[in-house]
Amino acid sequence: MELTDADLVARVLVDDDQHAFGELVRRHQSSVRGLLRQLTRTDVALADDLAQQAFLRAYKNIRSFRGEARFSTWLYRIAYNCFREDARRRKELVGIDEERLQTQHDPQAADPGLRHDLMRALNLLPLHERSAILLCCQNGLSHDEAARVLDIPLGTVKTNVLRGREKLKRMLAD
Amino acid sequence: MNQEDWLDRELREAAPYIDDEGFTARVLQQLPAPRRSHDLLRAVILLGMTFLASVLAYVVSGGGRFVNVTLERLAALPVLWILVLALASGLVMAAAGATAAISRSRASLT
Repeated sequence: MELTDADLVARVLVDDDQHAFGELVRRHQSSVRGLLRQLTRTDVALADDLAQQAFLRAYKNIRSFRGEARFSTWLYRIAYNCFREDARRRKELVGIDEERLQTQHDPQAADPGLRHDLMRALNLLPLHERSAILLCCQNGLSHDEAARVLDIPLGTVKTNVLRGREKLKRMLAD
Repeated sequence: MNQEDWLDRELREAAPYIDDEGFTARVLQQLPAPRRSHDLLRAVILLGMTFLASVLAYVVSGGGRFVNVTLERLAALPVLWILVLALASGLVMAAAGATAAISRSRASLT
């Protein structure tokens, strides 16, 4: 029988079982790295560095995981905080200059096979709407869970998802 | 299918599974050393201090004379009293064990 995330967390807590933590990393690496790749606009190297930081931070602070939320939600929150801190350091947390972004080299745009209008449109959204869309629509978090991850009120998440969706639809229709 | 479902499905499909490719191994390499070494050190210190305290108590009490005195007193007690004392000690130890087990299982659930 496969152990649940809660079982693995318990092993890390009680026995400091690093194999159990390794299993947690294996289970969640794809979604965490995927989220960070979208947040960093497909900067794979930066996203993977941030994902490593997030998992290390999760290991060091695993005692603060109370099991009130899903482990993945807790992990997304740490990953998002890592991204935000890095973005602050890089002073990129201000709004997005859409025109500048459209003229930037986009690795997805270079490969027609990977070129998805949707992903390009997603990259054009402001960070607050993009984050909400990524968490709720792509990673299947509830609005409440997304509010915990982003540390913003529930109503703001709902508004950001709604606005983000509208913008995406408009951009795809153009 | 409404447009919102379509959009969510497209977004999910646009995010394929990312192969591990050594990522987990790199994370595990950077983890701090397991706490076991600290636990072992703590146990050694506690046992050492207990041993030293026992030796000190033995020397200070004149070769453990108080043990003989206490045993003599206990032997002089009625059998019923000794049984009550044994039962009380057992209950206290059982309660302490149960408390430790409950707190440990609670810690593993959070």
